[in-house]
Amino acid sequence: MSGEDFQFDSGQMALYVHIPFCTSKCCYCSFYSEPIIDHDSKALVSALIKEMEKYADADFRTAYIGGGSPSCLASEQLLRLVEKITHRFPDIAEFTVEANPGQLTPDTLVQLLNAGVNRLSIGAQSFNTVELEFLGRRHTVDAINATVSTAKNIGFKNINLDLIFAVPGSNLDSWSKSLNAAIALGVQHISAYSLTFEQGTLLEKLLQLGEVEPLPEELDRQMYELAIDTLSANGFTQYEISNFSKSEFECLHNLTYWANHPYVGIGPAAGSFYDGHRTINMADIKKYIAAIQRDGDPVTQTEEPNEIEFACETAVLNLRRTQGIDMGEYEQLTGYDPLELFADTIDKYLKMKLLKIQSGKICLTRDALPIADSILCDFSVI
Amino acid sequence: MTTEHIRNFSIIAHIDHGKSTLADRMLELTGLIDERDKKEQLLDNMELERERGITIKASAVTMPYTYEGKEYMLNLIDTPGHVDFHYEVSRALAACEGALLVVDASQGVEAQTVANAYLAMETDTELLGVINKVDLASAQPERVAEEIEHILGIRKNECFKISAKTGVGVADLLDAIVAFLPPPEDNSDKPAAALIFDSHCDDYRGVICYVRVFAGELKVKQKIKLMGVDRSYQISELGKFTPEMTPTDKLGTGEVGYVIANIKQLADVTIGDTITDENAPAAEPLVGYKPPMQMVFSDFYPGNNTDYPKLRIAFDKLALNDSSFSFVPQSSPALGFGFRCGFLGLLHMEIIQERLERENDIDVIQTAPTVSYEIVTNDGKTKRIDSPSQLPDMAYVEELREPFVKLEIITGKDSIGAIMKLADDRRCKLLKTDYLSPARVMLEYKAPLAEIVYDFYDLLKGISRGYATMDYEFTAFEKSNLVKIDILVNKIKVDALSLIVHRDNAAAKGRRIIIRLRRAIPRHQFEIPLQIAIGGKIIARETIKAFRKDVTAKLYGGDVTRKMKVLKRQKEGKKRMKSIGSVQIPQKAFMSILDTSE
Ligand SMILES: Nc1nc2c(ncn2[C@@H]2O[C@H](COP(=O)(O)OP(=O)(O)OP(=O)(O)O)[C@@H](O)[C@H]2O)c(=O)[nH]1
Ligand code: SF4
Ligand SMILES: [Mg+2]
Repeated sequence: MSGEDFQFDSGQMALYVHIPFCTSKCCYCSFYSEPIIDHDSKALVSALIKEMEKYADADFRTAYIGGGSPSCLASEQLLRLVEKITHRFPDIAEFTVEANPGQLTPDTLVQLLNAGVNRLSIGAQSFNTVELEFLGRRHTVDAINATVSTAKNIGFKNINLDLIFAVPGSNLDSWSKSLNAAIALGVQHISAYSLTFEQGTLLEKLLQLGEVEPLPEELDRQMYELAIDTLSANGFTQYEISNFSKSEFECLHNLTYWANHPYVGIGPAAGSFYDGHRTINMADIKKYIAAIQRDGDPVTQTEEPNEIEFACETAVLNLRRTQGIDMGEYEQLTGYDPLELFADTIDKYLKMKLLKIQSGKICLTRDALPIADSILCDFSVI
Repeated sequence: MTTEHIRNFSIIAHIDHGKSTLADRMLELTGLIDERDKKEQLLDNMELERERGITIKASAVTMPYTYEGKEYMLNLIDTPGHVDFHYEVSRALAACEGALLVVDASQGVEAQTVANAYLAMETDTELLGVINKVDLASAQPERVAEEIEHILGIRKNECFKISAKTGVGVADLLDAIVAFLPPPEDNSDKPAAALIFDSHCDDYRGVICYVRVFAGELKVKQKIKLMGVDRSYQISELGKFTPEMTPTDKLGTGEVGYVIANIKQLADVTIGDTITDENAPAAEPLVGYKPPMQMVFSDFYPGNNTDYPKLRIAFDKLALNDSSFSFVPQSSPALGFGFRCGFLGLLHMEIIQERLERENDIDVIQTAPTVSYEIVTNDGKTKRIDSPSQLPDMAYVEELREPFVKLEIITGKDSIGAIMKLADDRRCKLLKTDYLSPARVMLEYKAPLAEIVYDFYDLLKGISRGYATMDYEFTAFEKSNLVKIDILVNKIKVDALSLIVHRDNAAAKGRRIIIRLRRAIPRHQFEIPLQIAIGGKIIARETIKAFRKDVTAKLYGGDVTRKMKVLKRQKEGKKRMKSIGSVQIPQKAFMSILDTSE
């Protein structure tokens, strides 16, 4: 797709800001982050703000400060960044900041709320101390509880908890306890991720050395199904493979990705899909700062999907949502009728009852969710 | 040149005993190549020959040589040593009066040494024994000379001891060729008769026939007839290999060279046919050859059905340059349209596969190789089938026959026990034991081809620590107690996975196969039952469990490009398999049915 004919709906635009700092590395984590003590975080925030200036005319509807750990920034730096964003883009409807339990003081939380942040995403991961330790998390179960209740008291009305299941050593019972503990905190949104052995992580190394073993596939599946069942019994709706929310509390920001709408990512290693181009910024804090300071381009990778590639991407991303591919919306966005473009694949999976079509939408069935990749890969190329 | 001054000889030997290297030295000594053009195994000029370091196709070269002050013309034919290309040796021998039997001084007499020596004796070819590689520290020329004398009857004190590498003894050998090998018979006054002993196809010039003139002469512009196929042509060019093709005006009696006569396709000439003069033809064609026998067959199907025409074009091209490779259209209920291909042996099959892959971009699914069988039906008709799937209902089959070979194994005496056990497991019957020397023995067996053609040689090498060598020769189809094993994948019979085996070990084999198939077929979105049936009765089953979890947990903005690539790779993996019903079967599953390892 060429830049000229790419029509994006700027009303749907999302702004992501990547804070590439953590206090220490969790064993499973493949995000780009470095120890904060090694870096000048003030310079980074300045660079982020400067990179953002390039998009001063954009009309962002959502903002998301993620990482890394935004919560490990000094509060004045975090606030400086938030205020800049809300000042620049006053129409932001959903503004999320990621926080690790115990990392933000009540004061900072108040200031964030006042500055326009209206959603918190808290990296709880587990309510089991042994699992937290295994994962290399530096917080306690108490810290999760405390952070959530403080945030609620202060007035945050939209809180997400991230949870990880299928941790080696865990079982259905411990997972059920974590789920119920999260539900009991009265949050509006829960993301439940199966533990992945990502390349380049300590966890993957341990796997290769034979020091850890993944849980059996069948148990992983049962845990996933337990999450779906438990959460739905408690008023949560699954709206994406790993995401559940109370009604009206879907994460608008993340929905932008699965709609395959444009978004801008700011900061080291951040990805953007803007003007028909998929780009990724350099994953090097110092080089990133230097590039921004001398008005250079922080992008290291650019790809320009052609029409068919864009159509395939859109199908794959849409199908991750429980609402699936909205055929009208899809045709408007990509120019293709999905029933024609993927005729054989759709036909095959309808017969296998792994896809269903209802009220103009093509979506995965419940049986398909745990094995979604094996189906989505058939939509990844024509 | 009069026939008195011509010597025609082949160089024959076991694999790697140094035939092509010896040819190099002779080309140098006779001044055909100088220092500048020198390269090892110069006559192995096909890309695959150079890569594999083996000779696949025989090649001829004409060398001038002065002996006792007189000019001679020496025609050398270098031959391949591998058993698959045995027929090339017999063709070369038919074009020569003599042959050099080369034996490696450190390895001694091996299976193809014996087989090739016998071929030479059958055709009354005069043999000179040549013990090569005497430069090696491990060389034992005296012991090897004894073996040669004992097993082949060539006197040990008449063997030449040379090093093709250093050149030691090669000049004396050239003298001996003139002194001891007989000249061709002088038939120069008779009608022209030339034997086509080989051919190849050139993109620009069409078919090039390698010929040996036995009577009369061939000239440029001459009208000729191929006696066997009864077709006429006109010679546009003829000449000699020096080693490149060098045109001459004529080829006289006794000479070896090439003929080009506007023949378009290899299929238009039969190796072993006689070229004669159109107007003054010879009364009788020369004694030709039996066409080489294809020993193994395998089906090739395009991974993607729309590639069928592409595959046909690719095979056409391969057959154009290899008349011992054949293919016929074949259709399988499970696999769709493809081709049944015939090969001289597994090495030949590998070479064709490799060319197919190298020269074309087609995903191919190949079935496990099989030998051919003979059936006698109820109505008394005998029919050859070269695929288990062609076997009719056994109710219509009176008798099932399989090919048997004479198998010769030469080995050190330490491994005799292990080899005899292996041969016994493979239904081989010992016919004869013959000691080459106190330490080495030759075992002769009657063996079912199907038992020795696939992995037997590798096993033999393994248990003899590399020392044993083998050679085999087809003898006859004979009645055997055979049954067909059918394999059902997801309840569908996959004909391309069927195989024919001896009844005694059918059940055990079936059970092993199904376990290997279970491992070779990847898990799917659903459970896949596998069943083995013998004579319509299910004797074993296995299940490939469905995978239960396969989903990317996180997919957000920055990951899209990378995750799409992962999915595409997953999809590519599926494409390289053959879909049967809704099951994707990878190439390795087809081959796994031959794997005999536990
Ligand atoms: N040391 C030593 N090595 C030799 C001699 N002659 C040949 N070789 C080596 O033996 C190997 C096989 O030689 P080739 O000439 O290719 O043998 P070949 O008999 O033509 O082999 P095929 O055509 O495959 O049957 C090569 O590595 C040669 O360099 C020799 O006299 N001495
Ligand atoms: S999981 Fe979060 S806190 Fe842990 S290393 Fe990764 S980005 Fe940092
Ligand atoms: Mg050779």
